[in-house]
Amino acid sequence: MQLQHLAQVIRSKNAGPRRLTLDVMLASDADYQRVVQSPALSPARIAALYRVPEADVAVIPYPLGRAIKITLARPLMAGDPGDRDVYGAQQHAPLLGIEL
Amino acid sequence: MTASARVLDDIRHARRPMRLVGASGQLGYGVPTPAFEAALARAPDMIGADMGSIDIGPTYLGKGEMATAPAATRRDLRKLLLGARMRDIPLVIGSAGSAGARPHLETTLAIVRDIARVEGLHFRLGVLRADMPRPMLHDALAAGRIRAFDGMPDLTGEEIDASAQIVGQMGTGPFRRALAEGVDVLIAGRSCDTSIFAALPSLLGFPMGIVMHMAKIIECASLCCVPGGRDCILATLDDAGFELESMNPARRATPVSVAAHSLYEQSDPFGLTEPDGSLDLAAARYEALDDRRTRVTGAAWRPSADPTIKLEGARKIGERAILLAGAADPRFIAHHRQILPAAAAVVRDLVCEDQPEDYTLTFRVYGVDGVRMAPPASEAPPGEVFVLGEVIAPSAERAAEVMRTTKQYLLHHGYPGRLSTAGNLAFPFTPPEVSTGPAFRFNVYHLLHLPDADSPFPLEIETL
Repeated sequence: MQLQHLAQVIRSKNAGPRRLTLDVMLASDADYQRVVQSPALSPARIAALYRVPEADVAVIPYPLGRAIKITLARPLMAGDPGDRDVYGAQQHAPLLGIEL
Repeated sequence: MTASARVLDDIRHARRPMRLVGASGQLGYGVPTPAFEAALARAPDMIGADMGSIDIGPTYLGKGEMATAPAATRRDLRKLLLGARMRDIPLVIGSAGSAGARPHLETTLAIVRDIARVEGLHFRLGVLRADMPRPMLHDALAAGRIRAFDGMPDLTGEEIDASAQIVGQMGTGPFRRALAEGVDVLIAGRSCDTSIFAALPSLLGFPMGIVMHMAKIIECASLCCVPGGRDCILATLDDAGFELESMNPARRATPVSVAAHSLYEQSDPFGLTEPDGSLDLAAARYEALDDRRTRVTGAAWRPSADPTIKLEGARKIGERAILLAGAADPRFIAHHRQILPAAAAVVRDLVCEDQPEDYTLTFRVYGVDGVRMAPPASEAPPGEVFVLGEVIAPSAERAAEVMRTTKQYLLHHGYPGRLSTAGNLAFPFTPPEVSTGPAFRFNVYHLLHLPDADSPFPLEIETL
């Protein structure tokens, strides 16, 4: 099953101008457990998907919000010449098709 | 007696829960009236609103312009001023004018003064400035008290001098000083979002962990609800926790929705670093009071022995011109990675015949890789693409020259296998080239270590 068919929210935004933060929120504790235990959201897999060094990726489970937070270093600082998404609000797209 | 002095007196004399209204997380984009009126009917002790953010990019800060429309900004400010003065409660606004530097603050204050004049309002106005004096920054740099973080390069004296604006995010201290001094309305330059709501309750001794947690949530109005939105939110704060209730009955603050708000635009859902300490949410608890109100407890505050101020600065990098064009020829789309640089090389040879190569020319090809920072290597080619050309050059004239020349040579560029010899591009209108004005980048995003993190933020008092 793809992540987009299980999650309630999959979103991205800047966390400051040098980082991107991606949130995956689930509707139930069972769905949350399924995603949090899947190797598909490991830092190595996320780093490969976004083509950034694994050391620049953090994956933080947040059970109170039934959510998983992923934080990445931005390849370009927000608003620098060549940036493609100043708010970072459309960088979630690669997560949608992750197979769990 | 000023509104802040009256509220402080009231609660000091008869300890009771405090009611705070988060009116807007982005003042100037509209404050829905029904929820605002519902909030006023609950007899709140203060109204707060955040007006800015760094998310909007470097140009507003550098250029000294607001992101919001003047008429919409005035409508929101008028609504909040009239409501706060009618109930005689403090109105606290942070990060004035989108980026919170001197020009943004002055524009906001001019609107506030004009509203007061037109509406016949009289009040004591506190103003907190957030511009960082350059000599102070040079001294701090020399003393090793400015630190890079999040992978930012180290700051240099040259970058300090070249910045159009440098602000610091002020913590709760300057707000506390202003509210203790006695004001009816407080308008601050660049501020931590939390300062707006944390200062008044912290003066009354409410526990700092709970206060900061509440402040962090209500600065976004009803965004912590399901469905999230921009209606006012009411927080009722006591010594053990706080309760959240949206002033729009359709929005529900649930334990999960409120807990999930800690994720929003933050890299760590369990904590938050502020100038004079950090918020620890590891033991935070969220309990439903009913189906649309949640009570929050458990946050802890860890004061810092080494206060820091987050600095934000923007530097002008040139003048920008853009080109808006589309293409639907599959051969052009298939070969665009060769065509675009080849056309750019032709342009360079022409416009640099008698001038240096003093500009940058870039293309974003929407439909292919215009949005994603790391698109997958193989995808089926799209039927159409949008081509956004961008030039940054030392002058507006030079940027326009390069962009206009690029438009012409990209339109007529010949490439192997080309069938469409009358033109490669579709223009939605002409002229397809647009001069967008000065371009900036963030050149300062650093931490300033200061023994007294309140000292760079002077308070001015004005009687209207």
